[in-house]
Amino acid sequence: MTANAKTGITLAVVYAAFSALVLAFLSDSGGTHLTRPAIALVDTNFLDRSTTRRSYADLVRAGADLSDFDCYVCHDKKQPPPLRLDTNLNIIVATEHSDIVMGHGRHGRNNNCFNCHNETNLVLLQPRDGRELKFSDSTQLCGSCHGPTYRDWEAGAHGRISGYWDRSKGAMERKDCVNCHNPHSPRFPSRKPAPGPHPLREIGATAGPQTGQE
Amino acid sequence: MDQNDMDKPPSSPASQPAPPADAMGRRSFLRTSAVLATGLAALAASLKPLLEMNDFPTMERFLQKYYKEMTPQDMAKVLKRIEDEVEQQYGLRPQVRDLKPMAGVEYVYCLNLTRCIGCRKCVHACVAENNESHDPEIQYIRVLRLPDGSLDIDKAEHFYAPDSVPEKGYFYMPVQCQQCKNPPCVKVCPVHATWQETDGITVIDYDWCIGCRYCEAACPYWARRFNFTKPTIPKDRLNPDMAYLGNRPRRQGVMEKCHFCIQRTRVGRYPACLEVCPAGARKFGNILDPNSEVSYILRSKRVFIQLKEEMGTSPRFFYYFDV
Amino acid sequence: MTRAIRNYFVFLQRCVCIALVGDWRYYAWTGLLTAVSLLGLNAYCRQFAHGLIVTGMSDEVSWGVYIANFTFLVGVAAAAVMMVIPVYIYKNEDLHDLVIFGELLAVAAILMCLAFVTVDLGRPDRFWHLIPGIGQFNFPKSMLSWDVIVLNGYLLLNVHICGYLLYCRYRKTKPGKWFYIPFVFIAIVWAVSIHTVTAFLYVGLGGRPFWNSSIVGPRFLASAFTAGPALIILAMQVVRRVTSSSSLGLGSPEGGGAPSPPPKRRAATPDDFVLLTRYLPEIGSVPSEIRQRLLPMAEVLEVQPGDILLRQGETEDKAFFILRGCVVVKRQEGGRFRITRTAGPGEQFGEITALDGTPRTATAFAEEPSLVLSLSAAALRLLMKSPQVNKIVRSRMSERLLITDRALMTLRSIVQVSMLINVFLLANEVFKEFYSGNLHVVSSKYLFVGLKNHHALVPWIWTAIAFNLIAMVLLVLPVSRSLKWLNVTCILCIVGIWIEKGMGLVIPGFIPTPLGEMMEYRPSLNETLVCFGIWSFGLLCYTVFLRMSVPILQGRLCQENEGAPDQSSNAAAAGAAPRG
Repeated sequence: MTANAKTGITLAVVYAAFSALVLAFLSDSGGTHLTRPAIALVDTNFLDRSTTRRSYADLVRAGADLSDFDCYVCHDKKQPPPLRLDTNLNIIVATEHSDIVMGHGRHGRNNNCFNCHNETNLVLLQPRDGRELKFSDSTQLCGSCHGPTYRDWEAGAHGRISGYWDRSKGAMERKDCVNCHNPHSPRFPSRKPAPGPHPLREIGATAGPQTGQE
Repeated sequence: MDQNDMDKPPSSPASQPAPPADAMGRRSFLRTSAVLATGLAALAASLKPLLEMNDFPTMERFLQKYYKEMTPQDMAKVLKRIEDEVEQQYGLRPQVRDLKPMAGVEYVYCLNLTRCIGCRKCVHACVAENNESHDPEIQYIRVLRLPDGSLDIDKAEHFYAPDSVPEKGYFYMPVQCQQCKNPPCVKVCPVHATWQETDGITVIDYDWCIGCRYCEAACPYWARRFNFTKPTIPKDRLNPDMAYLGNRPRRQGVMEKCHFCIQRTRVGRYPACLEVCPAGARKFGNILDPNSEVSYILRSKRVFIQLKEEMGTSPRFFYYFDV
Repeated sequence: MTRAIRNYFVFLQRCVCIALVGDWRYYAWTGLLTAVSLLGLNAYCRQFAHGLIVTGMSDEVSWGVYIANFTFLVGVAAAAVMMVIPVYIYKNEDLHDLVIFGELLAVAAILMCLAFVTVDLGRPDRFWHLIPGIGQFNFPKSMLSWDVIVLNGYLLLNVHICGYLLYCRYRKTKPGKWFYIPFVFIAIVWAVSIHTVTAFLYVGLGGRPFWNSSIVGPRFLASAFTAGPALIILAMQVVRRVTSSSSLGLGSPEGGGAPSPPPKRRAATPDDFVLLTRYLPEIGSVPSEIRQRLLPMAEVLEVQPGDILLRQGETEDKAFFILRGCVVVKRQEGGRFRITRTAGPGEQFGEITALDGTPRTATAFAEEPSLVLSLSAAALRLLMKSPQVNKIVRSRMSERLLITDRALMTLRSIVQVSMLINVFLLANEVFKEFYSGNLHVVSSKYLFVGLKNHHALVPWIWTAIAFNLIAMVLLVLPVSRSLKWLNVTCILCIVGIWIEKGMGLVIPGFIPTPLGEMMEYRPSLNETLVCFGIWSFGLLCYTVFLRMSVPILQGRLCQENEGAPDQSSNAAAAGAAPRG
């Protein structure tokens, strides 16, 4: 075959290749040619900024129903409520207050209602120094035993705060102890975590825990 | 008259000088032209995917100046343009402001590792506040679960998903941009698209970034994120309260990261991650103010962890334990 | 002045035209490269439209094959200029050809580097932000800004040197020393700098302990000077093979084909010697009485393309000097013809057999219609009684006969030493990472043995190490002096070092992430197409550069034959007429 013919055939092949490319490019459907599984929107619960509990002070501010806090509807003003302990000296919670679970302090250290409540005036709280505190000042009561934590709370280092770090522009709002801690079972409640991250690529990223101690 | 003429050897009539190397006959010229033409057609056709671009930069955006060189008038025009674009895309007109740092302010973040329960609410509050892309997912904060007793990052678990947190035997450490005093990302950016402002926040001019991702390679905390494609923000979750250097929607091909919720903090408010934390583990404020909670913490708490302190980055994030 | 500009434009135009002319192999090769380049361009357009999500990169592994290829090619570009050193030490005019080929490879490599960096950008439309003065150029703090300067500077240096030398050759003027020699020496130093700066991109990142090591810079240079010259060794052999008459569209004479009519012979005349003197001035030193005595022993042959002047293995002891035209000398080795060189007016061939009687080492064909002076052995000896003629003939004989092979052997030595250093540095690295047992070695663990059930890179790195070690052994043994084994060794070097630099350096730096997350990386199809496209484009550029420069260096594309039509009957008249 002459060189000229070889060149001619080669050029024809190249021509065909280029034409095939034109067709391939123009007929491409477009898009990224990638598929990724959809990511669900996160539950709005996880964006919620409200506290776990509402304190008495919150209820007052909101003008909510305070009938639960009207002790003398049932109790007798002249007579302090009796304290019943079982053989292990654990407190027996009255059935009328069955929603209260006593868990303040390990080994039942704090299982006396009147360590905090004032038995002669049930609408008040009583710290050890004899002061009388309203329910809306319950933080003072907590602080009378939990000193370091109270100091931190005062400085804004413990507990939730919101609002303005720059006090000249607005108020900084400190939440009370009982906004997070149930006074009868103060341990901070555990909860379900929000979903973990969805990495862009699947290669190598396993769905579950990856750590092995190696 | 060329000098070359004198040097030319006399040509003997029988021998022919070789044709110049670039000579071509008419037939081969036609053949070659046909192939060339198809080649050019293939070239044009190969550009077809460009038609799918719906975000091609306008001349105005192409020529937009660097943040630090914009006059207030330039900035006002740019802000208005951004507001128009967001309204067009999301149906909601935002307010985009250019907030300047406050004088006498240097931010510091303290994070109480005793209190963090690993619930990841901060991650999602950040996403909602800062208009981060939903798909592909961009989250500035990454919460690590570490076994009690060790700060070895290689033991960290990123994808924990138990039924309830906190889990016994572990503690949780959220990591986001540490706004380092000596930031490696600022050093390596070839176009000065990222820099540290006087109040300590390392910011990014999203319209200046060229997307080389050198800063992402340089960050020792894996804090920077890249927009691999056009970000998607769910329409009903758009936060319309925006700042130019903060949470205004970004584009494909640029970097972003935590900026201490610049649209909140520069007007005196707390960042979103702090406000949503149920355990109050996060503390933020002005270290130059002795009455701030962060000053108190740094004064009174004894053990501080600055992540990867030995890198010399001087992060503004202080992790500490209470008990 | 305008004449000079006009001449230059004609030169450029002719270069472009010649790139469109070739034989079927040329069309097939460039056609293939163009097709792959277009596939790459299409893939890149998809990336431009949709973003880097079409690649395999992620926030965890944010640099991938684009930067891996960039790193490798910076090394190739740096090493291409190492060819320059033997030339300027041996001070041989003709080796300039090889220098130009090496520098053209550097230009092609730098173009590929710039392409790889551009396709890696998230917003290439904002490239102007990098321009100092107009944009915001973070020099000197950012190593990337240094890289922009050194790469573009290197490109300009090499384009200038090649362009200048080629244009001088085109105009058949001697290049002015001050226009290129200083630049050549700058280029040698600059070559080291481009690769060191690229290494510093990685070394400067304290947050990535795998990269933040002082050995990275030296390893870069060692591996670059292994892979680069290896590539050049392979490329030069290809160039040698295809710069035969067949690639020039003039037919392909192979040894032992159909017998061509015997060339016309006539006795030599004094005018022939005068003609020879024009190209070989040393002949002028031969006294005329000697020339008279030579005449009966000399003949002039008129040969057509394809005519064989001498055959490999024969013992006929005539020596030849070319008066006009071009002769190709091909050596047959193992059934294949390998071009040793091409010779033009004033150059000699066949003199070894004439002087010491060893059989012909190669076969010589005329490549174009030529006029050749044939001397008997006695005549040659007589001619060489003149000390000047003796000197020039001997020097050309010893240096030119094995010139291309000698250059290849020089390159082989460079590859040999560099590979030894490279392996030594690897051993240093492995010891440092694994002996002390400290915790910063997670990336190395991932690379060499796997980590936390992820081990995608382990087979690759061990293959690379095996290739490098085998190549090192072959280089040290004399067996690699044979071109076949040398080629195998070069391929092992190139592949081994490509894997080592790409997968062995860039990717493990990201795995695990600084926060301990394990995320592996696999390039996507689109990403791979873009890479192939850029490589094809680079090879296409290099092919076109060679297509333009070889005829210029051979003297067949020159200012003199500007405008001559392909019917060469009146070429003498037309070509000789002054233009401009």
